Amino acid sequence: MEYVIGIFLILTFFGLAWYCVKGHNLMIGFLIMSVLWGILPLVGTLFVSQAFIDANPILQFGAGTDVTLMNNIVRIFQASSEGWGPILVNVLWGAWFGRVMMETGIASTIIRKTVELGGDKPMITIALLNIVVAGIFTTMMGAGPVISIGVIVLPILMSLGIPKALALFTFVGSVSAGMFINPVLQGQIRGFFPGIGELEGFTQFLTSNFSLYAIAITVITVTVMSGIYLKFSRKSHAWAAQTGGAQVQQNAPFYTLILPVVPVILHIWLGFPVIAGFITAGFAGLFLCGKMGGGFKNSCQLVNKMYFDGVVDTAPLIGFLLVLPMFNTAANFASPYFSAVIGPIMPTSETTVLILFAIVMGMGLFRGPMTLFGCGAATLGVLLNVGDFSVPFLLVAFSIPTIIANIGSCITQSWNAWGLAYTKVESKDFLKYSIPFLYVAGILLFILAAFTVTGLGPEWFL
Amino acid sequence: MIEDRKAGEGYANQLSARLFGKQSAYLPHREPVNIRPVGEMVRALCGLDDGEWTEYAFSREPLNGRFNKAERHKLMQQAIDCGRQIAEECISQYGASGPLTIAKALGLNVDYPRQPQDGGRVLFAEFCPPGDINIFMDAIDKAHELLSEPGVREALGAIHIPDVLLAHELFHYMEDIRAKEIWTKTYKIELWGIGPLRNRSKIVVLSEIAAMAFCKRLNDLPYSPYVMDAFLVYGYSADNATRLYLEMMTFADKTPGTSTTPKEGREPM
Ligand SMILES: [Zn+2]
Repeated sequence: MEYVIGIFLILTFFGLAWYCVKGHNLMIGFLIMSVLWGILPLVGTLFVSQAFIDANPILQFGAGTDVTLMNNIVRIFQASSEGWGPILVNVLWGAWFGRVMMETGIASTIIRKTVELGGDKPMITIALLNIVVAGIFTTMMGAGPVISIGVIVLPILMSLGIPKALALFTFVGSVSAGMFINPVLQGQIRGFFPGIGELEGFTQFLTSNFSLYAIAITVITVTVMSGIYLKFSRKSHAWAAQTGGAQVQQNAPFYTLILPVVPVILHIWLGFPVIAGFITAGFAGLFLCGKMGGGFKNSCQLVNKMYFDGVVDTAPLIGFLLVLPMFNTAANFASPYFSAVIGPIMPTSETTVLILFAIVMGMGLFRGPMTLFGCGAATLGVLLNVGDFSVPFLLVAFSIPTIIANIGSCITQSWNAWGLAYTKVESKDFLKYSIPFLYVAGILLFILAAFTVTGLGPEWFL
Repeated sequence: MIEDRKAGEGYANQLSARLFGKQSAYLPHREPVNIRPVGEMVRALCGLDDGEWTEYAFSREPLNGRFNKAERHKLMQQAIDCGRQIAEECISQYGASGPLTIAKALGLNVDYPRQPQDGGRVLFAEFCPPGDINIFMDAIDKAHELLSEPGVREALGAIHIPDVLLAHELFHYMEDIRAKEIWTKTYKIELWGIGPLRNRSKIVVLSEIAAMAFCKRLNDLPYSPYVMDAFLVYGYSADNATRLYLEMMTFADKTPGTSTTPKEGREPM
């Protein structure tokens, strides 16, 4: 019986993939999935063999145990969502900080100054912009900042004769590179590993052993592949009207241009709290750019408005984050059933995991089983069930497809969807560029992981 | 604080649309503008002289930050002269028979695809080297409906929009075959230099300005073809077109008219 339920759960998973491809709302989709994946495994315990229940402690509840059915329902639908409170709060502060960097003109000044170094040579400009964009998004997060930077970067790239699909590809690929140390995004990924906070020096370890190299590899891959694509693509010279993008060009003072990366630098190298970093750098930006000159009341209103706008910017992410932990917890209950069906073919050694993951990278697209912001929560559950892996290893193994395939290459990522609409690029034209990239970058990153986060000592296990 | 209720409701709507809407395109919130009648908009824009388009044209230039106002005006004039000169050469060679005849004579492949578009960035036409020009008819069809609005025809005169777009792209073809000698492709500024390493760059907007001047002469227009930027967008989104119009007028140091259109039908996209 556990096989029947397992197969049915796998089918719902294909249903979700179809739902995502259709572009429906992710929050609602994952809510439905949480209910299905929460209820089926629990109800399923009435029908499965006793041996199956004995082998899986998570399915033991009711008479004769000290766990009640209600405990499990609380775990899935209440405790999980509440448990992500800290992550949500970081997202909100990050959104506010992103708004501050936009409205002070700091972010746009950085982009313009960069372009002025590159000039009309597409490859120099692409390379410089990719580095700067990746740098900016080591701290800034959410659709709002990506769009605000995108409306500056994309028209510039297109005005240099770079095909629009390629312009979009190189831009969003660079955005994803920054995510390897972005504290807000990293916080979300770590939400999948309860207890990770107990590992002493985890952030520093990961940053110096993996994340910094990962950013470099991703930026270089995006840039080199853009160069290759550009060589083989048809140049075009378009007459187009640009609306909704051009804002009053305000130049932020030179010394403020470092502010976007200040919170992440403070956080990673000094252990400074992320939110305090956002507040410090945010207010520094507001004061140094003369935004706080209008008296106390006006300044309060301005700070407030940026907060409101930031919340709207990140609303889909917030909604998704309210539901994702439910799905994540439900996946824990579902994973014994998955193990029953696909457990025998799941890898148990680090090397086979890396090789297998590199092969199936593409399943990180369309919220599939390789992205944590999709069905990957279930894959993670199964992997935890069948093998014993260190936390840095698992986190890296899942971060790579989550960041490269989902955030950097997939059309279901909110800002990629915006970019397609803004540049009028067909999904297939974008995927034609992004799928080869996700494999090249993914394989390089898995090789990096094989050298840096395998065979770790017992201090990295939970 | 959100003081009045209406603003609060607007915010709530925006938030819920973001939370529960489809995962798709989203444009950041913008302050509302009073939508202007298309006739008034076109009349005002047709009244701008070439020089008054300088700041608008350069606002789309990636290297804009490197020039001051005087330099922009000087470059603008030089680019216009370049475009006009090429136009005169074309006319003396092929006669004043219109851009399509010239394109045909040059062996160019002109196509009129009907690719649908929407508000954010509207694509009018493109030149793909070596010899393909696409004129996107969707924008033009929408604009044709606007020609009957009061004041539009009077301002634009007898205009054949596909030819206006074609002439602009035709200039890019001219540039392409004369890349070694034409001013817009040979004029460069030095961005930086370290020792023997120099980065010298063309200024891409000069090509656009020259293409507009070329287009203006070839179509005998009494106004700058830059008017099309706002006019062709109006068919998609009166809101976006109005924003563009206000931007153009501000760049030209002119005060835009204040009348608003009674028509509420055209929602911002
Ligand atoms: Zn052009």
